[in-house]
Amino acid sequence: MAIIERPTPVAPVVVTPTETYGLLKRPVSSTGWRSWVFTVDHKKLGIMYAVTAMFFFIVGGIEALLIRLQLAAPNGKVLNADLYNQMFTMHATTMVFLFVMPMAAGFANYFVPLQIGARDVAFPRLNAFGFWALLFGGIFLNLAWFLGGAADGGWFMYAPNSGPVFSPSNGVDFWALGLQIAGIASLTGAINLIITVLNMRAPGMSLMKMPIFTWMITVVQFLLLFAVPVITVALFLLSFQRNFGARFFDVAAGADPLLWQHLFWIFGHPEVYILILPSFGIISEVLPVFSRKPLFGYPFVVFSGAAIGFVGWGVWAHHMFASGLGPVSVAVFSVATMAIAVPTGVKIINWTLTMWGGKLWFTTAMKFAIGLIVLFTVGGLSGVTHSIAPSDTQQTDTYYIVAHFHYVLFGGAVLGIFSGFYYWWPKVFGKMLNEKLGSWNFWLMIIGLNLTFGPMHILGLQGQPRRMYQWTEARAGEGFFNLAFWNLVASIGSFILTIGILFFLINVWVTSRNPQKAPLDPWNARSLEWMTSNPPKEHNFDVIPTVHHLDEFFHRKYEEDEATHTMKQITTAEELIAEQERNADKHIHMPSPSYWPIVLAFGLPVITFGLIYSYLIAVVGGVIVLFAAYGWSLESSTAPESDFENPNSSTELVKHG
Amino acid sequence: MLNKRRFAIVSSIGISALLTGCATNAPQDTWQPKGPNSKLIDDLQQPVFAVAGVIGLIVAVAVTYTIIKYRDRGQPIPEQIHGKPALEITLTIIPALILAVVAVFTFGAIFKLAKTDDTEMIINVTGQQWWWEYDYPVQNEYGITQPIITSGQLVMPVGTKVLLRETSRDVIHSYWIPALNGKRDAVPGRVHTLRLEADEPGIYAGQCTEFCGLSHANMRMEAVALSKEDFAKWVANQQAPYVSPAAGTLAKQGEEVFLNQCVRCHQVNGLTRADGTPAIAAPDENVWSGAAPNLSYFMTRNTFAGAMFDLLSKQCRDEVWNAPSDKIGAKYLEGVTEDCLNQKDLRAWLRNAPEVKPMYANPENLAVSNGKYRGMPYLALSEDDISKLVAYLITLK
Amino acid sequence: MAETAHGHVGSTGISNVKLGMWAFLGSECLLFGGLISTYMLYRGRVTGGPRPSQIFDIPFTSVSSFVLLMSSLTMVLAVSAAHKDDDRKTNLWLTVTALLGATFVGGQVYEFTAFYKEGLGFSTSLFGSSFYTLTGFHGVHVTVGIIMLMSLVGILKRSSVPGKKAEVVEMVGLYWHFVDIVWIIIFTLVYLIPV
Repeated sequence: MAIIERPTPVAPVVVTPTETYGLLKRPVSSTGWRSWVFTVDHKKLGIMYAVTAMFFFIVGGIEALLIRLQLAAPNGKVLNADLYNQMFTMHATTMVFLFVMPMAAGFANYFVPLQIGARDVAFPRLNAFGFWALLFGGIFLNLAWFLGGAADGGWFMYAPNSGPVFSPSNGVDFWALGLQIAGIASLTGAINLIITVLNMRAPGMSLMKMPIFTWMITVVQFLLLFAVPVITVALFLLSFQRNFGARFFDVAAGADPLLWQHLFWIFGHPEVYILILPSFGIISEVLPVFSRKPLFGYPFVVFSGAAIGFVGWGVWAHHMFASGLGPVSVAVFSVATMAIAVPTGVKIINWTLTMWGGKLWFTTAMKFAIGLIVLFTVGGLSGVTHSIAPSDTQQTDTYYIVAHFHYVLFGGAVLGIFSGFYYWWPKVFGKMLNEKLGSWNFWLMIIGLNLTFGPMHILGLQGQPRRMYQWTEARAGEGFFNLAFWNLVASIGSFILTIGILFFLINVWVTSRNPQKAPLDPWNARSLEWMTSNPPKEHNFDVIPTVHHLDEFFHRKYEEDEATHTMKQITTAEELIAEQERNADKHIHMPSPSYWPIVLAFGLPVITFGLIYSYLIAVVGGVIVLFAAYGWSLESSTAPESDFENPNSSTELVKHG
Repeated sequence: MLNKRRFAIVSSIGISALLTGCATNAPQDTWQPKGPNSKLIDDLQQPVFAVAGVIGLIVAVAVTYTIIKYRDRGQPIPEQIHGKPALEITLTIIPALILAVVAVFTFGAIFKLAKTDDTEMIINVTGQQWWWEYDYPVQNEYGITQPIITSGQLVMPVGTKVLLRETSRDVIHSYWIPALNGKRDAVPGRVHTLRLEADEPGIYAGQCTEFCGLSHANMRMEAVALSKEDFAKWVANQQAPYVSPAAGTLAKQGEEVFLNQCVRCHQVNGLTRADGTPAIAAPDENVWSGAAPNLSYFMTRNTFAGAMFDLLSKQCRDEVWNAPSDKIGAKYLEGVTEDCLNQKDLRAWLRNAPEVKPMYANPENLAVSNGKYRGMPYLALSEDDISKLVAYLITLK
Repeated sequence: MAETAHGHVGSTGISNVKLGMWAFLGSECLLFGGLISTYMLYRGRVTGGPRPSQIFDIPFTSVSSFVLLMSSLTMVLAVSAAHKDDDRKTNLWLTVTALLGATFVGGQVYEFTAFYKEGLGFSTSLFGSSFYTLTGFHGVHVTVGIIMLMSLVGILKRSSVPGKKAEVVEMVGLYWHFVDIVWIIIFTLVYLIPV
């Protein structure tokens, strides 16, 4: 519902529009599917992002399992060459663009406004549009599977192999255009969150009192803001070449194929940090909570995150050490890459020192966080070995690289995401995930991921290249521990990993059937998102808190014992929240739901579909977009009270101001 | 100290597990350098691996120690310490210093590996889907008085600084012989250089490492390093005049099949048609990349189809690969004899090439490439023709 | 508080919409950066087609560039009128700005047609592909700007602009000035600096 009045019943109230404003009646129902499809509530959108991401995680996971099945034995016959090439292309594309990025967007959407004490984001409808664009873009990308084959050029899609002659199916077209749509979603999301963080913090929350998760998300949004347009240019050049006969990567016309590589990696390297920093943020929240200590060296973690964000722009060519750049460029990028290891190391040190001297509580969330510290370190150190450019020329495009980035992305980004699931589940759904199942989930994932990706270090260093649909025994070496053995171990590991993830899904199911409600503050948490009910009310906070400390919530509950410097509790979360309810703001305006975001987002895949098959369809898509944009711009973000017929007639209505 | 001892035990177990955990004699092992360039890389990277391993272990031990020591044993919630800047700055500077040292050595190696002015021999290497062509420009000091064009195996003299000048005719490929040097991309429209030098005679395996489409997995290479004397013999043989099979033999009939079918794309130097005119291949009319392997002296090579298949039977192949360093040259120069020929794979290839190696060779799907193939098409040869062709090919030595 | 996107002034003292436009324009810098780099790399690669110097008509393009620059001036006048709540003048200057923009786009269409007749197609050469892509992207940006200006005029007439009028006019103004500045860069790099 759109206008929340005090006192109002807690039960959802359906208010129906009576008058039109703009083009259509507002979809103001607060229950049923309409309350999700037309919502602009950042919390609902956060959940929708996460569910979408989880779906694509399963899709990408199935692709990964097929890859490992194919490679379990020499001369695999599960997939043919063509299908295998599509499989690894889409596995990477799905995991990067449709799982980790939207999952981070989901966490960011849900928790950034809560952590900064805001009632919503800066542009709620743009937020909804971003989600729908991502969903439609993801579906569009995967449509190619059913329309002549998916993209088959690798997620890096190097020219000229991505050109019309070398990749004749429509797969690359779907890929390029689908990523454009996802890119629009990322860009709008970035603008929205940046403005939210810059402009909507609760009184007293200076930037250096901002929770670290919000900080890391902010850095990521700046990276997105500047990285997305670069891939946009690259994808346009590619699409123009494939669909309109442009010559950008046509060597016969004098084109330089390295142009694509530069554009792709100028986007692609910041992208790596876009994937990892949200998880760094999550565990920087989790570790202090379960260590009962503030994050060690908060300013160092903030500045190292920002430093990674900056230096991340100067290292792209380390993906190109074998591409034939001159020795001077190679040397410069080699050193820049070593330099970026330093701020990353700072984080590892700070996380360990956060636990040092604490009072550690090993919940599943905490276990995942500790798992990240150790396994990300492995990935980080193997990263240092290929910052040595000459050494990288032996390692690049082998399984050693595959091992490296899976330790970084699975051992880093994914473990962080799972830590976040366990930590914030009671906040979002009001129920605790089962800790026992969580333990199974954790240990099977850790064992599985080490068995899957650990052997890949050996495979790569002993010369097995990536992206080969088959490997041959002739190059596997001798002895019991030959490459055939390690390939098999990796494949077995991938199934253990899968079982570990299934435990999470089982846990979700079990938890959903468990009637027991979570306590208000189950972890004795520290930041503002916990200073409200579980799940939070639509307007997040009854009273916008005034912030005095980093870890504001903790410092409201505890005070320091003068003599021992240890902390003693002075009040409980229940009392704090009850007090807020008593003093609740009287008049809270929340943005109203809208049709336009989903309509506008739907127009985009119609346009791109038309670009591939028939310009007529593209025109239809264009009309949808223009129509939606027109409706959108005529609509106020909050429906005026005349739109509503409030069933609670005794409630006094307040003018929108 | 107990902890020190435990640390030593753990690290030694870890290192030995790592060493025993690897394949022996893996042909593409990056930790088995066989030439000065790869040794330069290896000498640079081994200490880095060691230091990285130690740092990883320190982190693992530190985390383990912390979580054991500070687990919740009912202690009060501790003082809310926000950090110790001096400690953090120290812990930032230490890794920065380690990396600074590494950077200095890295710089040196990068520029040494990029040197080209001490080159002793040049070989042009051209990648295309999905095989490599080797072109030896005229170099009189090695007896190369006319260009030698070959494929499948790069033959080079030992102890000689060879400079590969790489390019590509279609998409990006990458040339990689791990035992001799790191990889370097072959990019269309550009020429990149890669130094190779082998210390001892031998065969060194490699693989194309830039994803190059459908049969990327099947684009392999082998570098054959021969002693200088053996290399001279090889060069001489590659320039020997063409000898047509004797009239009336099966091989002679095979030559006719070759002239009818294969010569559209594949060149055999010196081959003439019945009317005495030279048979010139025109791969540019049929193949997108514009090239097909030159089959002159075909049976001096041990592989075919982009080194995907062996020309030698398994047993004979092992004899060459396992020959001691001083014998390998002689063994290699024997080439493929009739007894040693891998009939099965060669006949399967001639019968239906796209079936045994995925390629874009279906005439129905070639609209985008103006009807040109990428790879060898199905030629509908009869079993009879295949036998004749095999008999002919075996004479190409 | 947090309820509305328009006109809300937050912690930075700048409204959400304006700050949002600034962020968007920051992103746009990289978009044009990528396109300009591509053009600079490829402008000399003509493969038999016309060279830049053979087809560029500097005086013509200078005039249309001047027209676009003037539109920035009229945009400033529109914003200032909006701040004074003078709807009539705001509408007038917005319309003039849109007309000047349309003149520029018209000039670009004419120029493209002329170049095409002189043998520079989109597929002719790398120069052709990258020239049309870069200037085309800019033209589309100007066109989007014109649509925004005209919509603003329409909305102002219905006096149903959501949020504060001046804020919205100023936001569109930011976009317009940005597009103009990008043109100054493109004009200098593409037309004035010889290959």
